[in-house]
Amino acid sequence: MIDLLGFSLCLFGFNGFALAKFNHFKDVFKKRPTESQSKSLLFIAWISILLSLVLCVATQSGYGALIFCGFMSLSVLIIMVFYNFLVGYVKWFSVLNSVLVVLSGLFLALN
Amino acid sequence: MKDSFFRSMTWLHTWVGLLVCWLLYLIFFAGTLSFFRDEITLWNQPAIHNVQAQTQRIEAQKQQIITGFDYLANHGANSPSWRITLPEPRIPYLVYGYAKPKEPGQRRSQFKNTQLNPNTMQELEPFVDTKGGNFFYRLHFDLHYMDAITARWVICFASFFMLIAIISGVVIHKRIFKDMFSFRRNKGSRTWLDAHNLSSVLALPFHLMITYTGMITLIFMLFPYPAQTAYDNGMRGFFNDVTPRNTMTDKAKGESSMVPIQSILDQVYTKWPHADITRVQVNQPNMAASTITVLVSAGKTLRDQAPRLIFSGATGQMVAKTDDELTNSKALYESLNSMHTGRLATCLLRWLYVLGGIAGCVMIGSGCIMWAKRIRERTKNNAKPSFGLKLVEGLNLATIMGLPLATCAFFIANRLLNPTTAERADKEILAFFLTWLAVAVIALLKRDTLQWRVMAAINTVACLSVPVINALTTNGNIVSYLMHKQWALFTFDALFLLFSILFFIQTEKLRTAKNTSKIISPSQSNNLKRQKS
Repeated sequence: MIDLLGFSLCLFGFNGFALAKFNHFKDVFKKRPTESQSKSLLFIAWISILLSLVLCVATQSGYGALIFCGFMSLSVLIIMVFYNFLVGYVKWFSVLNSVLVVLSGLFLALN
Repeated sequence: MKDSFFRSMTWLHTWVGLLVCWLLYLIFFAGTLSFFRDEITLWNQPAIHNVQAQTQRIEAQKQQIITGFDYLANHGANSPSWRITLPEPRIPYLVYGYAKPKEPGQRRSQFKNTQLNPNTMQELEPFVDTKGGNFFYRLHFDLHYMDAITARWVICFASFFMLIAIISGVVIHKRIFKDMFSFRRNKGSRTWLDAHNLSSVLALPFHLMITYTGMITLIFMLFPYPAQTAYDNGMRGFFNDVTPRNTMTDKAKGESSMVPIQSILDQVYTKWPHADITRVQVNQPNMAASTITVLVSAGKTLRDQAPRLIFSGATGQMVAKTDDELTNSKALYESLNSMHTGRLATCLLRWLYVLGGIAGCVMIGSGCIMWAKRIRERTKNNAKPSFGLKLVEGLNLATIMGLPLATCAFFIANRLLNPTTAERADKEILAFFLTWLAVAVIALLKRDTLQWRVMAAINTVACLSVPVINALTTNGNIVSYLMHKQWALFTFDALFLLFSILFFIQTEKLRTAKNTSKIISPSQSNNLKRQKS
């Protein structure tokens, strides 16, 4: 479950980076992002990515940084597939990603 | 030198990458497969397909070692060395082995191994002679037919070129963050550039890490001067210093009875109460100078050399051990080594390594195809392609389509060769290289879209054949593996089916693609002009 939280946070972060870009935001929401929207998305993305890194290193020690690099690769691949081939599903994907972050976080917090 | 820094870097990136891209593709391809070397060996040995992993593996180790000592004392009393290899999560069987006396001219002793099912302690069916996953592991840095030292120098230079290509690639990729998630389909060489950029960027930390640590694994060959300066007898002295050795009883003469193995194990468990012993080695058994080496798993620590204790076989006294706390330089070297091999990685990390490896293959493959495509686009319709372009196109086809086919041939040969065939393991490897050679010959003769399509179709059939032939020649198949939760075997077959589907999709895509590399002769060009007018 800790791996799932680390990965979903990383995916959430890269999703934020993608949405913060003008083209991708327009493809998904059919409108331009405002300056503050872009900045907020970038801020959330960075926090999420850093949380994922901290979680990986704290729980997996030696191999944590490597797992984090792997999570980044997988996240970029998934984001690329959604934003280039499945744009219509990005909203659903983002919701699912957020649910995963919350559920895995709650599961760990309660256990 | 070009007129601007950016153009210089572009030139450097292109040529440094192109010169060694086919070798790098082989290194990445074989290296990626090596992350599953134990699973490949498992698939290649049908005798161990049905050996279940032990539920109380570590608890059973003590008794397995005691039984092994009795077995080896009875069967290999006069042998120069004994070896007990205990089951590990990815290697589920137990091996008791003793060395046969060396024959004249032989460098290393041959071992007579007895493989056992650790759950029943019954001897397993005879193993087939195969290199399994070790073939791909050695191939990615020894290049098989080459002299090992020469091959490692070649690999080091290729890795150095790769490192330069990665760094110059980052410098020239101006829109690295802007285009991070962009992939434009059906745009010719633009699509290839996007594939190249994307596969580079998505696993950039992995590419840098694996290339740099790959060079570090061979650092003492590349840069032996500090050790040669510090030690009187050079590298040998250095290696003797960092490897625990018996210097207390190694000069003892004559025969001596061995101490009971229980007393050795008691000392091991006193030092490491939860020790996961991986191997026990005995050198010169029943001699006064005998040693018993107990190796344990390093667990999840970033450490390449397995922690070990060495005891005198005659007295039971501990004579040497690995350091509990590593010096900074040793810790750095060991951690970089273990990062490269991922030997102690979990299943998840292993798959993430494989993802990085596949991204590396795509990066190299798309890079060399893109170069050829751009030159081909610049070549005028009625002009003859240069020798360099033909060579690059031929090598692209031979490497990118030849390696998967050769790999299928290796596995098919493993199933179809008679188990009693002499030098069977070498014949499997020969099947790999002959298949690759055949593809290379075809590719150098003709390399247009039709050839790519034919190769994709052959790869489709070959990938499909691997699980089918496995089902026909062994007692298991992909369905039974799924039913019995034999995940390693199931995943192996499933991956071949997946690649078969991917190659089929490629065949279909190439069927509708324009044959851009078709050479039009001047007369054909004139005919076309006439028809148009």
